[in-house]
Amino acid sequence: MAEMQKIKLMSSDSAEITVHRDVAERSVLIKNMMEDIGEQAMTEAIPIPNVNEAVLNKVIEWCVHHKGDPPATNDDDADSRKKTTDIEEWDQKFMQVDQEMLFEIILAANYLDIKALLDVGCKTVANMIKGKSPEEIRKTFNIQNDFTPEEEDQIRRENEWAEDR
Amino acid sequence: MPITMPPAPNKDDLAATWNFLQVGVEKIMTNLKDGVDMATYMGIYTAVHNFCTSQKAVASGGGIIGGNAHRGAHLLGEDLYKNLKDYLKGHLEDLHEKSKGHIDEALLTYYIREWDRYTTAAKYTNHLFRYLNRHWVKREIDEGKKDVFDVYTLHLVQWREVLFEKVNKNVMAAVLKMVEKQRNGETIEQSQIKSIVDSFVSLGLDETDSTKSTLDVYRFHFEKPFIDATTKYYENESNQFVAENSVIDYMKKAETRLEEEKNRVGLYLHQDIMNPLMKACLGVLVTGHSPLLRDEFQVLLDTDRQDDLARMYRLLARIIDGLEPLRTKFEAHVRKSGLAAVEKVATEGDNMEPKTYVDALLEVHTQYQKLVDDAFTGESEFVRSLDNACKEFVNRNKVCKTGSSRSPELLAKYTDALLKKSAKSAEEADLEASLIQIMTVFKYIEDKDVFQKFYSRMLAKRLVHSSSASEDAETSMIGKLKEACGYEYTNKLQRMFQDIQISTDLNSAFKEYQSRLLDDDGLKKAVDPSYQVLGTGFWPLSPPQTNFIPPQEIVDTYTRFQNFYFDKHSGRKLTWLWQLCKGEMKANYVKNTKIPFTFCVSTYQMAILLLFNDSDTVTYEDAQKGTALSAEWLDPSLSVFVKAKVLIPSPENAKAEPGTSYTLNYNFKHKKVKVNLNIVVKSDAKQEVEETHKTIEEDRKLLMQSAIVRIMKSRKHMKHVVLVQETISQIKSRFTPKVQDIKKSIDQLIEKEYLERLENEELGYLA
Repeated sequence: MAEMQKIKLMSSDSAEITVHRDVAERSVLIKNMMEDIGEQAMTEAIPIPNVNEAVLNKVIEWCVHHKGDPPATNDDDADSRKKTTDIEEWDQKFMQVDQEMLFEIILAANYLDIKALLDVGCKTVANMIKGKSPEEIRKTFNIQNDFTPEEEDQIRRENEWAEDR
Repeated sequence: MPITMPPAPNKDDLAATWNFLQVGVEKIMTNLKDGVDMATYMGIYTAVHNFCTSQKAVASGGGIIGGNAHRGAHLLGEDLYKNLKDYLKGHLEDLHEKSKGHIDEALLTYYIREWDRYTTAAKYTNHLFRYLNRHWVKREIDEGKKDVFDVYTLHLVQWREVLFEKVNKNVMAAVLKMVEKQRNGETIEQSQIKSIVDSFVSLGLDETDSTKSTLDVYRFHFEKPFIDATTKYYENESNQFVAENSVIDYMKKAETRLEEEKNRVGLYLHQDIMNPLMKACLGVLVTGHSPLLRDEFQVLLDTDRQDDLARMYRLLARIIDGLEPLRTKFEAHVRKSGLAAVEKVATEGDNMEPKTYVDALLEVHTQYQKLVDDAFTGESEFVRSLDNACKEFVNRNKVCKTGSSRSPELLAKYTDALLKKSAKSAEEADLEASLIQIMTVFKYIEDKDVFQKFYSRMLAKRLVHSSSASEDAETSMIGKLKEACGYEYTNKLQRMFQDIQISTDLNSAFKEYQSRLLDDDGLKKAVDPSYQVLGTGFWPLSPPQTNFIPPQEIVDTYTRFQNFYFDKHSGRKLTWLWQLCKGEMKANYVKNTKIPFTFCVSTYQMAILLLFNDSDTVTYEDAQKGTALSAEWLDPSLSVFVKAKVLIPSPENAKAEPGTSYTLNYNFKHKKVKVNLNIVVKSDAKQEVEETHKTIEEDRKLLMQSAIVRIMKSRKHMKHVVLVQETISQIKSRFTPKVQDIKKSIDQLIEKEYLERLENEELGYLA
């Protein structure tokens, strides 16, 4: 049975991680590759050149937890997915990591094509921005303000309509 | 043999990245069968990803200020997309060049091989460039770019534009050549055509929405030439075939060909072609030769070729208005057959048995009903044609020359023959079947009132003389008539049955009454009677047309019954229908016989014979005086006695007339103990028929008048013409009235002051 099949992934830093095939196939990249290459992928470790062991482990942890989720449909991204920044409790805890790890997870999810994880990551970042002033945001993400005062003024005027008053 | 990939490129360097990718894409396109190892696979995917996410995006994106603000981040990928497109173009141009060396089946093989290889590679490459699809392509499409597609679709679009446009005509020519070979009976590689169909269908991309597909490409480049070729092929074939073969053979051929083409769709064509293909084939094979087929129809009918008729029906049923001309011919043919059948039996003249006539009608109907059911699948319009034809020949044929009332009369007589007790009474089941057949003819009879009249007279006789073969059959027949014509039509018939039932009860009550009234001696002397009391309005019977002195023996009995009856129902009047009464007499006087003969006689005959109780010789005048019968009743009765040698006339062989005298024949001999002398004289029966027809005329007048009054009562006033029309439609179910007669009835009603003439041809109702 497919559920019992195990495959190996090899991180960018050459660590081998064994996972159930259906867990790994949360990644559309891996799923497509299994489909295309087949046999070889069962026996040899699949190279994941853009993700290191720590991040890959984190991603797999998420995939294991969510392996039973119904497959996301293609059309729901228009409305429901974008509108809400609600994150389920397990995912919130899962995302309580340092900023660098958070961004690494997002990049990996994007690379591996795991849409749901990418969404959770982006929502987490969005929640970190929500309700903050530009200065607070700069502080949160450690961003240097490279605007001239004139540029800043112009942007403020252009976006006046969006201000919370 | 694995191809060594160049080292992973710098993600910011387009040229290096594309060089790297092209090696992989090329390998997938041309040498996929050797497999792609995981490192290559992941390498290509990663290169695409890295290029699209390179920091150059921010640098070359020109910031987020100004005109680009609404677009958000700039997405890289256009260069990759363009390079891929150019690569595909080059590859396909190459394929086109190579295709020039192939024609016919070799071209098909080449096209299919390359198509399979190309689409498989497309699926692969689409996966590898998924990152491009997800971001750059998606963005372009979202922004409404019409000429950007996901990578797989890009492959198809390129195929269509670069290769397909140039080779499709040659490919199609090869396909059509193969199909023609198959139509000519050769074996071909069908799967090749199926692959071509699939390829053409895949190329149908909706220009406005790449996720949808259309059949446009397939329809234009495959379906249309296919249909054209098919039409041409069958035009040639069918024209040649009909020139050399019979129409019957042609129909078989056409049917086979249609079936073949239908199957061809299932075997290797697209389902979408079914309707146009069938339409084209039918147009050529059936519509194109329909005049020829129709001309053959009469021949097939004349020779009764059911299978071929069925085949012709199936073929013509499939084209528009294909059957109408057949129906007309069929109707005329059935009518002709019916008339011919009647003509044949009509040679027997007036002596023709009603059964012969009805059987002749039924035989024609049965034959063509079967044809309609079997060959024409019981199609309703053919049923209608059959009905029309039957109606015609049942009501207007040689036997009905004098009037359409002959048919219902004969039908009623046949029914009577079936329902009457007789030596060859049919089995219950057979009888029911015959009754159903009678109803088949009845349905077509126009003068249903004539049937009713004859039927009720004959039913009356069966009931009065207790000569019904089966009560169940009688009930069943009345049920059928009621179903066909309604309650009113059979009302009187049912009342007649009721009277008979009531009379049975009455007789047993009377027997009880009589036994209480008389002592033993009186009972012994009394006649053993049975009475039927029949309602005047319901029975088609008339009072006796002659005076009559009933014999004393009977007078005693019937007076007793009258007393009994008036006791029960005061104020009623009983009229004795002597002409219908009968009795049995024991001839104790006859010598040389141990058991006395029993004579079954009419009451009139009884009265005559009883005169001989007082004297052995009775003169004609005595008989006249003693019975008071008029000559037309007395004479036949005496003749019957003479003929049966019950009485001996003097002088010898003298006619029944004044001056003749009769003596009892003491030496009477007969092979049976029971002798039936109650024989209806022939001329009597004929007279009755004429009388019946006369009463029908009377009844029709009444029916028309009552219909007119009914209509006028509800409408109050009405145009003359409209009234006539309305009247016809109301009584059509009974008979077809003549306009002349209706006008006459209207005049009579005006005379009787039911109606009045108003202005403008209007008539008014006078309450």
